[in-house]
Amino acid sequence: MSSEEPIQLLQGTLDLIVLRTLATMGPRHAYQIATRLQQVSDRLLNVNQGTLYPALVRLEQYGWIKGTWSLTENNREAKFYAITKAGLRAMGEETLRWKRMAGLVERLLVEESQS
Amino acid sequence: MNHLRRFVARLFGLFGNRRIEEDLSREIASHLALLEEDFRRQGMTADEARLAARRTYGGVEHAKQLHRNERSILWLERTLQNIRFSIRQLRKSPGFTTVAILTLALGIGAVTSVFSVVNGVLLKPFAFRDPGRLVVLRETQDELRGKASAIPDNYRHYVNLKQNSKTLEDAAVLGQGASSLSSPGDHPHMVGTVASSPNLFRLLGVRPMLGRDLLDSDAVPGAESVVLLSYEGWQSLFQGNPQIIGQSFRMGMTTHTVVGVLPPGIRFPQIALSPNITFQEMGGTRDPVVFGAFVPSERDLKTDDGDFNYKVIARLKPGATLEQARAELNGLQHAYSLSAHLPVHLGIAISPLAQDVTSGISAALWLLLAAVGGVLLIGCVNLAHLQLARTTAAMRETAVRAALGANGLQLVMARLTESLVLAAAGGLAGVALAFAGVRLLLALVPANVPRLNEVQVNWPVLLFAAGLSTFSAILFGILPALRSMRVPPQTVLQANSSRAANTRESRHTRSLLMAAEVACTVVLLIVTSLVLRSFSRLLRQDRGFDSGQTTAAQVNLLTPRYDNDKVKNVQAVKLDFTDRVLAALQTLPGVQSVGITSAMPLTGETWVDQLERPDHPVPEAERPLINVRFVNPDYVSTMHIPLVAGRNLSPDDRANPWVALISEKTARDGFPGEDPVGRKMQGLVPDDNHPITVIGVVADSKINGLKNTADMVYLPYWSWTPWTLTFLVRSSQSSDALMPAMRRAIWNVDPEVAIPTLKPMNEQLSDSVASDRFQVEVLTSFAASALVLALMGIYGVLAYSVSLRHQEFGIRIALGSKKSALMQLVLRQAAFPVLLGTGVGLTLSFVALRWMRSMLYQAPNMDPVAIGGSLLAIFAVAIVAAILPARHAASVDPMQALRIQ
Repeated sequence: MSSEEPIQLLQGTLDLIVLRTLATMGPRHAYQIATRLQQVSDRLLNVNQGTLYPALVRLEQYGWIKGTWSLTENNREAKFYAITKAGLRAMGEETLRWKRMAGLVERLLVEESQS
Repeated sequence: MNHLRRFVARLFGLFGNRRIEEDLSREIASHLALLEEDFRRQGMTADEARLAARRTYGGVEHAKQLHRNERSILWLERTLQNIRFSIRQLRKSPGFTTVAILTLALGIGAVTSVFSVVNGVLLKPFAFRDPGRLVVLRETQDELRGKASAIPDNYRHYVNLKQNSKTLEDAAVLGQGASSLSSPGDHPHMVGTVASSPNLFRLLGVRPMLGRDLLDSDAVPGAESVVLLSYEGWQSLFQGNPQIIGQSFRMGMTTHTVVGVLPPGIRFPQIALSPNITFQEMGGTRDPVVFGAFVPSERDLKTDDGDFNYKVIARLKPGATLEQARAELNGLQHAYSLSAHLPVHLGIAISPLAQDVTSGISAALWLLLAAVGGVLLIGCVNLAHLQLARTTAAMRETAVRAALGANGLQLVMARLTESLVLAAAGGLAGVALAFAGVRLLLALVPANVPRLNEVQVNWPVLLFAAGLSTFSAILFGILPALRSMRVPPQTVLQANSSRAANTRESRHTRSLLMAAEVACTVVLLIVTSLVLRSFSRLLRQDRGFDSGQTTAAQVNLLTPRYDNDKVKNVQAVKLDFTDRVLAALQTLPGVQSVGITSAMPLTGETWVDQLERPDHPVPEAERPLINVRFVNPDYVSTMHIPLVAGRNLSPDDRANPWVALISEKTARDGFPGEDPVGRKMQGLVPDDNHPITVIGVVADSKINGLKNTADMVYLPYWSWTPWTLTFLVRSSQSSDALMPAMRRAIWNVDPEVAIPTLKPMNEQLSDSVASDRFQVEVLTSFAASALVLALMGIYGVLAYSVSLRHQEFGIRIALGSKKSALMQLVLRQAAFPVLLGTGVGLTLSFVALRWMRSMLYQAPNMDPVAIGGSLLAIFAVAIVAAILPARHAASVDPMQALRIQ
């Protein structure tokens, strides 16, 4: 598989990326989040920006982020999402879970290549 | 927690839709605007930027749909959509909707009503601790095999079982009856009583609400009589007096002190002494109100081979099964028979309490439930056909849905939702009807059916109704719904709808529906006519006695004046009372004769004894079982029972009353091949061993119950006068005028005695077959509904198929077909499914018949009248239903029919 091909998002990855984005960069609107997504993934996650919306509504329904209408620096209206306290907590847990998972996969792969 | 929060949010997502949608559109618009701005900044023209923004964003509608899917519960949203759509569609065809909802409401209402009775009487567990482990014990004797399946319990045998059993946790012995409760300033009235070993309520797991339970010390000879009251009895007899504990009242012959009150809703069931006895004595079933301690008599403590007088209720140990208990108790009984050197071989009959109490009525109730279920089934078949036609009419819509990408399940659900909506509406209306239906059933149902006061529309019943509605919806909706899955869009979109409806497959489906309907109806008709014929045999047979123009008054002498223990020569006192009442009744206007008997006629076999002959000793096992009655000389003439040999009792026998009349059956069974007149019998009069001479033989009669002829022995009341006697007055006057006069005459002699029953003998006769009549009435109304539904169903199917073939008939006529040929065409189309259905129905009825044979009275193996009549009825209905569509087919105007398309 060539490394340039876009990869499929694992269930839950998108949520975690969104949460981390909002946690480190502060309130952001959907376009900014989508742009950020493309940047961090080095364009590996080349998806339509519209596909971000289900993740946003899901996170909002969990109560992990909250959207409010506000103005951009260019005076355009946009819905800005901010991470909530519950969101920060959830992000901690999710991050831990992902690290464990990644460690596990890593170990498996290493063992496999040794045997 | 977060998941719950999200679930709630998604549920709300189903409703607050408009605001969310607006917000979403706004957000997408702003997103696009921001994108566009960036692209413009990168040097694109306005148009290019807009296109680039769109491209980067992806499909707007797609994004919106993803958002919707994520924010709400998709299947629920679809279901709501389907429901809204169904309701709109149903509104468009009010005729169909009304018929469907009415059919369902009546069907579900009827089934739910019958189920309420089944639930209350048969299914609802008793309000005792772990009621599933309560059992009723009766004894059996190998020597009685073929004569009596089970007999009541002997006290000593009970004690043996209770002490030695390892499968029983506990056992209680009891007797049930009725006693006269005196109330100041009024004549006494009857209340139901239980006298039990003091452990009864501990065994049942019930603690008194007030006061204390019965104690072992209450059940020793000489102890003061103390009683518990049922909550309901406390309310009705003592107005719920909170100071009741310690108060005394007089009931029967003695004074009793109240020591406790049971909690509300504790109803102790009537347990039959032996399986053949009905509870019409003492004027119908009453919930026991007064619970006293049973004190075994000297005789109970000594007797081993007689006095089988009691009922035993027991609780199985946890883990012990009925089978284990039966095996163990049988073993104990066998061992006891040997060790006590009994002349008989004892065994045990054990049955779960709930089953035992309702054994007489359960088959009849299940039959009614099955019958009413059949009616609902027929209604559902009708609706299935209507739905099928609607599905066909809606095929284009279905095809469009399929063409637009709806999958099979979605198509089926879209159609099935309509049926579910109808069933929900019908079910709701049905439950409302069931409240009235239960009341109607309770008015019809005979009062001797146990646990009737526990019948109500409660949660289990409502749950049942909900399940039933869903089930009906699936029943009548699934077939049409499944068909819509197999619709090939292109053919439907091209063809006209009547051609799509008239495929061979759909014709077969309609024929099958019709056949199913006919089969159901045939079974119902045959079952009903068999029950009807059984009932008419019961009523029209020769009973051997005449109940017309006779009024019966039952009198109960259980007052201190007639107390065996306190009054010397109580027989003389009872005799004096009886003679004075007899004389008083004879002087009433219009009276032709007055008879006396010790058992109210038509209340089952009571006072069953063995016929013992001093001159002709036979082993106990071979002695016939006889019903003993104490009567006066006018008894046989009052009841119009003819004398066939010897002479009747006469006043001259009074001084030397050791004589008896026997019935023909007794003569056959007890004196085979002999002339019984002049022969001796013994051991029939309580506490007396005079040999008794047979002086006459009377004809057999069904005086104990219309279903059997018992062996009777009639002894003069001079030899022994019972505490409970029935005066039978034959008079030219109407019972209405006679009854108050009879009551006055009796209470003139002694105002303290109770009169539990006073009614015309014809009413007593009618009451004795009340459960049969109830079954006949209800079944007949179900069968009639089934016929009407079948008529509507057959007509509906044929009329519909004729309407589909309108054009074809036009062409046929145009080509010279005769009208009669067209009519035949339609009738032939009806004939096949009707005949098929009848065949299936007949087969099913034979299966049903084997199951219900025991419920029928003297049913012949084959009842051609019942079966022929039922077939005639269904054929008549089928012809009536078919003739109209057939005529319609024959009267098609070819010009018009051809012009339609």
